[in-house]
Amino acid sequence: MSQARALPATPLKQFWLKWRFHLNILLILIPLGFMPKYFADARMFRGDAGLGVNQISDIQVGPYSLDLAELRDEAPRADGPAGHFKAFNAALCKACTNEVKAVYLRIGKPRSLRAAGTIFFGAPYRMGTNLPVPPRTRPDAQVWVTIEGWDGSMHQASVPLAKASPATVAWLEKQGGKP
Amino acid sequence: MKHLIRRLALPLLVLAAGPALAHNPMCECEAVDAGQVKCTGGFSDGSGAPGVTLDVIGYDEQVLVGGKLGEDSTLTFKRPDGEFYVLFDAGPGHVVEVDYADIAQP
Amino acid sequence: MAKSPKKSKSKLWFLVHSWLALPIWFFVLIVCFTGMLAVVSQEIVWLANPDVRASKPADSAERLSFQQVLDALNKAEPDMSVRSLSQPDGAHFALNARVTLADGTTPTLYVNPYTGAIQGKMPDFNFEAFTRALHGWWLVPFTNGYSWGWYLVSLLGLPMLASLVTGLVVYKKFWKGFFKPVRTGHGSRIFWGDLHRLAGVWSIWFIAVISITGIWFLIQAILGDNHITISSEPVVPVIAREQVPQTNDGSPAPRIDLDEAARIAGLAIPGLDISFVSLPATAYSHIDLGGRGWYPLMFQSAAVNPYTRVVDSQFLLGDRSALEFVTESMRPLHTGDFGGLAIKLVWFFFGLVLTLMVLSGLLIWTKRTAQATAAALKRSERAPRARASDITAEIQP
Repeated sequence: MSQARALPATPLKQFWLKWRFHLNILLILIPLGFMPKYFADARMFRGDAGLGVNQISDIQVGPYSLDLAELRDEAPRADGPAGHFKAFNAALCKACTNEVKAVYLRIGKPRSLRAAGTIFFGAPYRMGTNLPVPPRTRPDAQVWVTIEGWDGSMHQASVPLAKASPATVAWLEKQGGKP
Repeated sequence: MKHLIRRLALPLLVLAAGPALAHNPMCECEAVDAGQVKCTGGFSDGSGAPGVTLDVIGYDEQVLVGGKLGEDSTLTFKRPDGEFYVLFDAGPGHVVEVDYADIAQP
Repeated sequence: MAKSPKKSKSKLWFLVHSWLALPIWFFVLIVCFTGMLAVVSQEIVWLANPDVRASKPADSAERLSFQQVLDALNKAEPDMSVRSLSQPDGAHFALNARVTLADGTTPTLYVNPYTGAIQGKMPDFNFEAFTRALHGWWLVPFTNGYSWGWYLVSLLGLPMLASLVTGLVVYKKFWKGFFKPVRTGHGSRIFWGDLHRLAGVWSIWFIAVISITGIWFLIQAILGDNHITISSEPVVPVIAREQVPQTNDGSPAPRIDLDEAARIAGLAIPGLDISFVSLPATAYSHIDLGGRGWYPLMFQSAAVNPYTRVVDSQFLLGDRSALEFVTESMRPLHTGDFGGLAIKLVWFFFGLVLTLMVLSGLLIWTKRTAQATAAALKRSERAPRARASDITAEIQP
């Protein structure tokens, strides 16, 4: 092959011409590197890794009890203009499942049943919800569980946010007084 | 994300790998002129919430202003005196509370 | 690469065409290959795993209704909570039942649609999901919004489309190439070049579809991450508290069964073909049903209130805006899962052709220029480092 060639002018261009195909190797490394996390996440969503992290078991809520756990040990995730949310899972006690109509979660004591917070979705043995975390929540805040019965009854209990999600409290403390 | 596993022909469901927080309710209130407050409700994916109940409730749990969001997903009302909170109520567990202290005075 | 100061326009097009995939060709190749696999991943599982098959117990066996299947499941596993039932695209597939067991695990079960028997559980390694995740977002997890891997892969739609356009510009009179035989015996470069061109012209439609729909996925992520929606689907997340009865004895209020829900939905929406049912996820949730309509690329759905027996919301083909008709068609056109096995096989075949085109494109390129570049680089390493202002030209004999 006869071709006229101009050699690369700058060291940067030389670098690029020499190493550009190694970009391929880098790109291949990405899914290889994420594979463990992919399978760990799949396990988590299947429920094979337990209810979640930092589980608080047997929270007494009136005549009922449930287990509460955050889905991931991390700070709340931003959802655009809606604010920050933390995913939680809960499991109702076996004997409770029939009588419990709905379970809600809220930071701070609810004013009413109507404003009891966010509702848990799914089967009683593994329900999930997205808890809104107002940015000015105090680190010593309580997370309130409200259980609504089919007979219209309402029962409540609270656990410290620091226990339910230490990562959230750490995030709140870092936020400081930022709105 | 409990979302997406589209392969199962369930297009409405989100894949376990897709954006998990697609449909959270939201409500923002701001003070507008003449002592009024304008609240805009919707969902975090960008959807509006026309016709959804928006009540202004005093701390004593009396409903001061009972209303529904308009076609443009907003409701404007006269700012009540005293302590109150705004409740965007799209159904049980789909509520957003905005405290009067978070609605800046103009 | 040789770069003389003056370039004729077609040489420029040719340069652009040959450079579009090259720095990342292996990445592009794997994306195409995994896409090809993903199209038929369900079928591959069907071949490998008998649990997934809808085996008829007898020739005259009839398919059970959704409620009959639910009854069978509840009888077999009383402690199990069924969240949804869906029929994959193809009657040869068993039903998929997403359930929650008492230990809190949430497997997907394969259920025989004729007998309601649980045939098996989706294995821990979900092949369909894996190929989809590898192809669609390069296994990069989703954190806030869309995964950056999604952006990485969907961005490839742009050079793919450019590759199609530039390829057609440089291939003079490409329309004559549909039946041009591939020359063998003239060396491998000629062979791969001819094969690349022949595969290319026959794949024009497919590459256009894949690249444009791929670019749509990019737009979709940008919209999603900016919390902009173009959906006109009504948002009715839950049923109002007043509509859900309380009971005196604290037992759950009665709800209509799935077949009744299907009947009610069918009355409200004539011709609604139901291929999936979601049971209410809370006491305040609807029974969601849906399936395809006359337009095979899109689903129609209805939300039935299990207490008032009313269809509280629906999203039919006629409810979509014109824009939605276009955007909602994008994903099925990309994945080819809108017309059963026949369409999937067409997508698979052209996906294979596309993968081979990426490979052949690279082979042509290596034989044409890589060796010369490597030689030039070797010379540049041996020669003293040129300073920034110097340009040294060498002519190879």
